[in-house]
Amino acid sequence: MKKITTNIRKNILHIANLALSPHIGSALSCSDILATLYFDVLRLEEYENRDLFLLSKAHSAMALYATLHEKGLLSKEDMEGYYQNGGTLPAHTDRLTNPYIEISAGSLGHGLPIATGMAHALKLQNSGRNVYVLMGDGESQEGSVWEAAMLAPQLKLDNLTVFIDRNDLQGYGRASELLSYEPIDKKFEAFNWEVLRIDGHNHEAIKEAVETPTDKPKMIICDTTKGKGVSFMEDELIWHYYLVTDEVKAKALKELEESLDEK
Amino acid sequence: MRNSVANEIKKVAKQDSSLFVIAGDAGLGVWDDFKESKQFINPGVNEQLDIGFGAGLSLMGHKVIYYNIAPFVIMRPYEFVRNDVCYQELPMILIGTGSGITYAPAGVTHYVVEDITLASTMPNLDIFSPADPVEAVECFKYAYKSKRPSYIRIAKNGEEVIHKDKIDVTKPIFIHKSDSKNILILHGSIVDEVSKILKIVDINIVSVPMLTADFDWAAFLEPFEAVFTLEEHFINGGFGTMLRDRVEKKIHKFGLKNEYIHKIGNRDYLREYYEIDGKSVGEKINKMSK
Repeated sequence: MKKITTNIRKNILHIANLALSPHIGSALSCSDILATLYFDVLRLEEYENRDLFLLSKAHSAMALYATLHEKGLLSKEDMEGYYQNGGTLPAHTDRLTNPYIEISAGSLGHGLPIATGMAHALKLQNSGRNVYVLMGDGESQEGSVWEAAMLAPQLKLDNLTVFIDRNDLQGYGRASELLSYEPIDKKFEAFNWEVLRIDGHNHEAIKEAVETPTDKPKMIICDTTKGKGVSFMEDELIWHYYLVTDEVKAKALKELEESLDEK
Repeated sequence: MRNSVANEIKKVAKQDSSLFVIAGDAGLGVWDDFKESKQFINPGVNEQLDIGFGAGLSLMGHKVIYYNIAPFVIMRPYEFVRNDVCYQELPMILIGTGSGITYAPAGVTHYVVEDITLASTMPNLDIFSPADPVEAVECFKYAYKSKRPSYIRIAKNGEEVIHKDKIDVTKPIFIHKSDSKNILILHGSIVDEVSKILKIVDINIVSVPMLTADFDWAAFLEPFEAVFTLEEHFINGGFGTMLRDRVEKKIHKFGLKNEYIHKIGNRDYLREYYEIDGKSVGEKINKMSK
């Protein structure tokens, strides 16, 4: 798994550098969650019966693109067409670009309402498919998140699992300084969700949390570090926006490769 | 119109298990005999959720209908309609009741006099303003078969049936034919002013239920000298504006003045105040035609 997540992070850096696009910190923050989902959780063997993953924090689209490529669901050529003139993939997702990109997203607070509708549809169809959503922590400031949070338990959507990438760094600061969402776990518990809080960079913890049985919709709050894996980007606000120049890329790749040698 | 459309939806639901209705805590009595169905939900007062939830069902293959009072169908959750429904190219049907100033004197929060302007910004959204229960049901049938998203704006209940024959909602439908060289084009429930107009002026009158139909307006209007439009919507940004954009011929528009309505009174009172009632319109056409 270490090799897989390192490859994903390397490709995030690669396409961020090709495109000179922002949001590298957000993409690195959720790489371990995506790697675990795509390589250990999601059932994707039969397309018509696949589990569904919705990237609601779609400014981290680079992480999804790199993960789909690593999984063999997105070609290198398409991945490298990210953010390019006449390219293949936008900075925020467009569901018409790839059959495994489930929703068009980018505006925060949309993923959970859509996922709630999908999960309810699957219940109506007596389907065993599951729906997984990844939200940002700052995203929980959107009112629509709480509208859906009220409805999902009432509909008994135990086929719905939500991850919050809790890196405590949003666009222009820490939530605790802007508009705190804490205690986020207590809030979702009060809305009748099954709530777990884990280390969002620990594959075993992520997998274990997904497998924890419940008859409620599940909220997995993942404590993460923005920019994870590249020391000079970790927990630094600027990497929400700063661009990955050739020099930055070389320095970051060196760190990632060295980390592979550490046992 | 409201009950006719709801009855048609319930009829189709019996044959199509994929049909799913979301009612945003609106429509007292309309859904009583359907509310226990698995094909129905009233999730409360939360318009953003209603649209996103509907988009999720639609992505899973359901034919989704969202029913609410019109201000809460397009205006309140506008960005959800834009991103989740239209940008994702989902064939959802949005039905808004209380079009125009139907609910006067409820106040501006409950009027929808700019919704066509907003809906027109979404390039793949078909817009319908049926004039009577027959048009309303036919608009729904069209939207049900369509692969594009639809917005149907209806007034309320109890409107008079004006069409006796089968109609095609994608074309102008003659309500009155005359030897006059002039034509009045109506969009929506303002059709109930027709008898008052005809007492004052003899003119061809058509109803146009589907605003976005791919129709050759230039050819249709070619034989007419003066062309008038009438709608219960802001005069700038509605059907008349759309028609002006599509033909070179001069279009004389009648509609509500683009201003927030602070005047209190029922729909007929406000129509008179804004001079879109039959008498005012008839007199103006008479004057302009001379």
